[in-house]
Amino acid sequence: MNRQTLLEMLQQQGVTRRGFLKYCTALTSLMALPPSMVSAVAEALETARRPSVIWLSFQECTGCTESLTRSYSPTIEGLIFDHISLDYHHTLQAASGTAAELAREQAMHENKGKYLVVVDGSIPLDNPGFSTIAGISNVAMLKETVANAVAVIAVGTCAAYGGLPHAAPNPTGAVSVSDLVPDKPLINVPGCPPVPSVITGVLAHFLTFGAIPELDELGRPKVFYGQSIHDRCYRRSFYDKGLFAESFDDEGAKKGWCLYRLGCKGPMTYNACATLKWNQETSWPVESGHGCLGCSEPNFWDAGSFYKALSIPDGDYARAAGYAVAAGVGIGAVAGLLNKNTKANAVAKHSSVSVDDFAVNKNNNNEGA
Amino acid sequence: MQDLSDIKIIVDDPAVQSGNLQSIVTEIYHALKKLLAKKNIHRIDLRAMPWTAGEEQQLEQILGVGEVKIEMNAMGKSIFQETSYSGVWWISHYNDEGDVISRLIEISYLPDMIFAQQEDIKSALERLKNNL
Ligand code: SF4
Ligand code: SF4
Repeated sequence: MNRQTLLEMLQQQGVTRRGFLKYCTALTSLMALPPSMVSAVAEALETARRPSVIWLSFQECTGCTESLTRSYSPTIEGLIFDHISLDYHHTLQAASGTAAELAREQAMHENKGKYLVVVDGSIPLDNPGFSTIAGISNVAMLKETVANAVAVIAVGTCAAYGGLPHAAPNPTGAVSVSDLVPDKPLINVPGCPPVPSVITGVLAHFLTFGAIPELDELGRPKVFYGQSIHDRCYRRSFYDKGLFAESFDDEGAKKGWCLYRLGCKGPMTYNACATLKWNQETSWPVESGHGCLGCSEPNFWDAGSFYKALSIPDGDYARAAGYAVAAGVGIGAVAGLLNKNTKANAVAKHSSVSVDDFAVNKNNNNEGA
Repeated sequence: MQDLSDIKIIVDDPAVQSGNLQSIVTEIYHALKKLLAKKNIHRIDLRAMPWTAGEEQQLEQILGVGEVKIEMNAMGKSIFQETSYSGVWWISHYNDEGDVISRLIEISYLPDMIFAQQEDIKSALERLKNNL
């Protein structure tokens, strides 16, 4: 099927070159690219055709779709209607049952080898009957749909790493998309839910450049997940000085000190919350006074209490941070450094969650099951 | 209340600062030097900054308001406000619904987007021709 380019479509709607450049400016910012890339984005969009997108929702809470439909920059309506052709999304579309499945089959047929598949939710393997759509098991639908897709985007921690359904004791035998789709270009966009503009930013990147952005070892786009929450946290100057809130209502908390001792998982968590923020950029968890839960990391549900600190040594924090600065090491590395040094100590005390509990190797995912 | 952005954000402890204000002002200083020396245009995406509540407003105050303000209407409103530092522009783009879709600082003689664009001039010619 020959689809219009975005530029052709905008021109048809009477959008001027200035309007197009403005759209490209917003999109460049959304994709977390520097403003100097605007002309490259414009150039790419002049020839980019609107791909067909099939969105599959499996074992999930609809939080990821909720997050997506609340992204506003550019509006999701703009993104869906101007930029992509969302041919199947059973939560958002009006049709259901057989009629909806027909739309999916038609999109797959007409755009064979060219369509994009977005998945939210994990896939139960213990009994495929645990989760079905129009009588089709999740695993069968996933395999059938991705067979002729150009790429797959796993949205949310459930699709990316198994998420909540996968948490011990993993009653449904939930697995991630990557466990079942080893042979397709795959982008993981984790988060519980992911930051809305990260979802749209990743989609926009693929649609603009027709390629997968650079990924880290957990399959996440580096532009959004390249830095830890801690590395971009505005409270970091307090962490560096060793000033920590000890309870949620003490003087330190009121003064906006670091939340590390209240369980903040920022140092081990790679996500864009600290810059892109939430609710139309109003605030984000740490700014609202609560530590990061680590929701964009595999197994964050099983990493011990959200309120237990990652293992910290007594007293030596500021000093170690100082050493790291002097040695040119990123602050985010300090926690790792200290955790290594004091692991034995922490284990003996059983008082804290260790880095190893948290940054679990993805291949060990099934241990708790 | 219409929108989340209508809720006033009050900075109750100015001591909580990310340190980004200083580094942005430094970046602007060097960019302005380059504009003068080499005509280099520079843009800073304000959305990519880890601000604390109120810091962006503080930057707006530091930069102040200059002599020129341009309003553009293309896929929603855009405001190009010259700051009190000549050559430093504060740019806000809105969509049709009035939500901010991007905020930038541009260091240039005149923001690029303000100039009439080749493509638009061509289509203007076409339309004029039909009126001859
Ligand atoms: S530990 Fe948490 S609150 Fe403290 S600086 Fe790091 S991310 Fe921010
Ligand atoms: S602050 Fe941490 S837990 Fe909260 S949304 Fe961001 S990554 Fe997830």
